Amino acid sequence: MTEPNPVPADGEWHGVAPSYLWVDLAGQALTLVVSAGATVIAPLASGVAWLWALPAAFVVIFGTSMLLTPRRVRAIGYRLREDDLVFRRGIMWHRQVAVPYGRMQLVDLTQGPIARMLGLAELRFVTAAAATAVTIPGLPRDEAATLRDRLVALAESRRAGL
Amino acid sequence: MNAVEPGAPGEPVRADGPGRPDDGWRRLHPATPLLRGGVVLVAIAVWAAVQLRDVWVTILLGDVLGEVGRVPEDPAARWVFSNVGLALLIVLVVIIGILVIGWLSWRLHSYRVTADVVEEREGIIWRKHRRARLDRIQGVNVERPLLARIFGAARVEVSVAGENANIRLYALGSATANALREELLAAASSARAARATEGGTDPGDSVDAGRPGVISQRLQELTSPELDSRLSTPDSLVRMDLGRLLGSTALSLALPILMGAAVIVVPVLLTGQWGVVFLVVPGVIGFGAYAIRRVTRSLRYTIAGTEHGIRVGFGLLSTTNETLPAGRIHAIEVTQPLLWRPFGWWSVRINRASRSTRDGAAGQAATTILPVGDTDDVVRVIELIVPGLDLRGALGGASAVGLDPRAPEYVTSPPRARVFRWWSWRRNGYHLTDEAVLLRKGSVWRTLTIVPFARVQSVALSSGPIARATRLRRVSVHTVMGPIVPSLGAIDVADAERLAREAESRTLVAMASQR
Repeated sequence: MTEPNPVPADGEWHGVAPSYLWVDLAGQALTLVVSAGATVIAPLASGVAWLWALPAAFVVIFGTSMLLTPRRVRAIGYRLREDDLVFRRGIMWHRQVAVPYGRMQLVDLTQGPIARMLGLAELRFVTAAAATAVTIPGLPRDEAATLRDRLVALAESRRAGL
Repeated sequence: MNAVEPGAPGEPVRADGPGRPDDGWRRLHPATPLLRGGVVLVAIAVWAAVQLRDVWVTILLGDVLGEVGRVPEDPAARWVFSNVGLALLIVLVVIIGILVIGWLSWRLHSYRVTADVVEEREGIIWRKHRRARLDRIQGVNVERPLLARIFGAARVEVSVAGENANIRLYALGSATANALREELLAAASSARAARATEGGTDPGDSVDAGRPGVISQRLQELTSPELDSRLSTPDSLVRMDLGRLLGSTALSLALPILMGAAVIVVPVLLTGQWGVVFLVVPGVIGFGAYAIRRVTRSLRYTIAGTEHGIRVGFGLLSTTNETLPAGRIHAIEVTQPLLWRPFGWWSVRINRASRSTRDGAAGQAATTILPVGDTDDVVRVIELIVPGLDLRGALGGASAVGLDPRAPEYVTSPPRARVFRWWSWRRNGYHLTDEAVLLRKGSVWRTLTIVPFARVQSVALSSGPIARATRLRRVSVHTVMGPIVPSLGAIDVADAERLAREAESRTLVAMASQR
């Protein structure tokens, strides 16, 4: 998905950019450093051995999660059908959501610092239902912008109130 | 304190500002400041009078009692006593200040209805100008608190989609409120249907509080449940009888009361200290107040379909009348507390796009549309809310609403889902019609959730590791936020995929027909 402007409308599944892996890993690594760093203070200060269990648990949990991240990133996908967008993600906790274009109230394009370095952006779709919660991460910047414009136009042409 | 009220009581209510070009801006009822803040002022005045009673008595009756010159002990009272002139001046300034502020706030608070929007502006220092599109109106609520009813006034709340986006007009004359409601609803339904600008009648024309027979008119308004007897729909779909209301209230309170009693009785038996009993007094008062409120609020409950939408009215002393234009209800849930089951009673809640600040029937949230009703009532209410959903014809009576646990029309969980739905796996299921999806759940606490496809925002199919191992899935139908979260778990993977697929395509069909 690195070639410019391949905005699909073909009903095929499209994955996210492989480099999104690094964004996801960086986020997890940061959380790991913060949580392990906070819990490592207690055993260092007190010298009680079993208190090391907590930072160790964080390392094990995040380590496993980071090992599985490449598979999880590959599992993220979206598909543009004639009247709705289907988004799926997750392997263990799988979720697939179909959002009709006419229900989209707005489309957000956001970029975090690492994503910006890699030239990636994420698209967030807001409907009248908070539970919809669809965010496509790891789209190349140009593709994200084109997709957003296209989806906004589609939403406008299929608008059907709340 | 009636001096707070700007404009003499007999003065006719001027709908438009005097001497101003008719740009459509209208004012509220002249008694508005009194109704909004007057009660508090009266309370403060009474409190002040009581607190400084000694001073008043000494000032007024000092000569008679021969106590001139006696200085009270209270420092505040002593100050007042030694500066009578200044104190009176301060009181006068405060009263005039309140008068001016009340008059100004009334002068500056106005509203108007144009072809596409309803607008409100208010505030003396911080001006607020609020504008709501007519086609976004989610409902019009006319409420008449007891005090306002005495003045022949009403509170109008225009619900607009969004958090805290409502337009609240308090107070309006009863006739004005009524006309405004009609105008808004007519405009809202036509604006939504064809965006056609329908002029509507100017509510200002019909307002004439000064005409003869005001007292008899007030009396008639006080006694009639609807604002205007001409508009009241005589045949409410549901007849709320006192026995059912009392019975359902008692039963819904029975469990907490029994648990509370157990908590009290056990220590009494163990310790022999009867004094513990007095600990429950606040609880008893609380439950009693809740029960009385619920009963008085629901006593004159009515629900009826009007040309502009569904109208729900209730209340004995303070009445509320809410009209929901067609298609503003996003989800419906029918539930049954355990102890109601022998009687076959149900209650109905809804999800809607706006948040009303006012309470709904039975002192519950504004999302309760039917506080208690039997199966027939429930079927009638649902068929009113989702027109075209032929519950009786397609499925027949009680089983239609999923109230009959053996209704065969539902696609239910497979036997292996017994692990997750111990008692309800036979009942846990869905039924699809052209108009809506019906999700039936629960064996002990039975619920039925109905979501019209025309209001579905998105559809999700999800599963966790255990569900995947047992080939079960969860389907969630997303609607606007509210007390109902429509979702059905522990469904066989093929059935769940079919449900999600059908819900998606029927939503698209419903959306296409709305355009």
